Amino acid sequence: MSTEPVTDDERKQNRYHFDRHTPEYREQFTEVTAEMLDKCPVAWSDTYGGHWVAAGHSEVFELARSADYLSNDHDPANERRGYKGISIPSPDVGFRGGFLEMDPPEQRYYRQALNPYLSPAAVARWTPLVDEIVRASLNEKIETGQIDFVDDLANIVPAVLTLGMLGVPLKNWDIYVEPIHASVYTPPNSPDMPRLQASRLAMREDMMGQLADIRANPRPGLIHALATAEINGTMPPDFELLGIIALLIGGGFDTTTALTAHALEWLSEHPDQRERLSAERDTLLNPATEEFLRYFTPAPGDGRTISADCELAGQQFKEGERIWLSWAMSNRDPAVFPNPNEVDLARTGNRHHSFGLGLHRCIGSNVARMVFKRMVTAVLDRMPDYVCDPAGAEHYQTIGIIQGMKHLPATFTPGPRIGDGLEETIALMQVLVDEQRLADPVTVRKDAADLK
Amino acid sequence: MKVHVDPERCQGHTLCAMIAPDLFTLDDVDGHSSAIDGEVPADLEAKAAEAIRSCPEQAISVIP
Repeated sequence: MSTEPVTDDERKQNRYHFDRHTPEYREQFTEVTAEMLDKCPVAWSDTYGGHWVAAGHSEVFELARSADYLSNDHDPANERRGYKGISIPSPDVGFRGGFLEMDPPEQRYYRQALNPYLSPAAVARWTPLVDEIVRASLNEKIETGQIDFVDDLANIVPAVLTLGMLGVPLKNWDIYVEPIHASVYTPPNSPDMPRLQASRLAMREDMMGQLADIRANPRPGLIHALATAEINGTMPPDFELLGIIALLIGGGFDTTTALTAHALEWLSEHPDQRERLSAERDTLLNPATEEFLRYFTPAPGDGRTISADCELAGQQFKEGERIWLSWAMSNRDPAVFPNPNEVDLARTGNRHHSFGLGLHRCIGSNVARMVFKRMVTAVLDRMPDYVCDPAGAEHYQTIGIIQGMKHLPATFTPGPRIGDGLEETIALMQVLVDEQRLADPVTVRKDAADLK
Repeated sequence: MKVHVDPERCQGHTLCAMIAPDLFTLDDVDGHSSAIDGEVPADLEAKAAEAIRSCPEQAISVIP
């Protein structure tokens, strides 16, 4: 780790003008990525006050796992070192984004409190309920032959499940969906902004109300775990807990929506691959899911702050410098992924970075995979000939935060409803969640939901 | 051959258990992986190799 003294110009000789918040970056993603991977897998960019960008797979791997030198801390009150968390540029908000903007040991206490709700065994218990919400969501459209896969399926199911796991009434999903989804794609100067602000306020009020209610009348779920957690020997203040809840909701909703929409769009464009996936799902669904995760990388990266002078991945860094770790670009590195810009549903050795790496690995990764698989297989079964309408498909203009979609309309041969519609099903599932205490941690309740 | 998961490196990505469920078990509470004791059956050696190759944290190794 010894470093020879060099000037900043020498340290920053690999330069690349990198602006992931522009529409051009989305349009030229393949070319920009190939160029950076080839010429400067770690580069200095002058954008947003100047920051490093790591694109290479091995470089991102080393950097993301070097928590001793890279900090996630967000310290808006300047109580420690004033670091700016995981967003570049840092949003001008006075609070941190949950444990994703904390370092150990604090971060570890939160993860340990929440892991028993989000482990593979914990998540598997919810599969029967997810299947019911998927079935009912498709019911609402199955007789018409028309669906918007974003609005009518992929926005709904992750939201209902996330609220169930939190311990929030399932029927409140529509209070949360709109502000979370629209916050990602609505530019600050949009005429939609006042409406969005109002819906954000309604969501925040509901969130605060849920926390207070769960404190007064304990019911199981992630919020209960937070409300009763001892973090480093103390009970965290409410604003910190609301940051965590917002992180769980933000992480649980739009990312899975984005993955599902992109995968369904790609499968519509490749009907032979869709038939193959459906026919060979027993062996192909797992690797195909990882491949869609790699190729579409719904959460394209994370920022960090260098916390001590160091040399990592062949680059000298100074304390206080900002760095963007690009999961999306490292997922296209030809050194690890042959034909990186092609989707290979049976790809092997798929060491993608889409859930991040190291101790901040996405805590909801098991939720995302399960919900994605249940939604996609249900569509393959009930709408096997769906065709997406390219004219109506609307991608986010920029992919700086989430690579997502606003709309994905499709047509298909109408089919019969199966069982109840969405509202009735959500009401029935609420009874199930309450009676069977589904939102308890896996340490308390091991069995899957019993639909009877 | 035997396989080993380094508990310091594993972060619970679960790809190993997805690829070779007979060789790796995931902890109920945090989803972190551990390898079965004993020799990898000959017919699962290819799966073991694929699990090693697929681990995002490079946490799995072979013990000869």
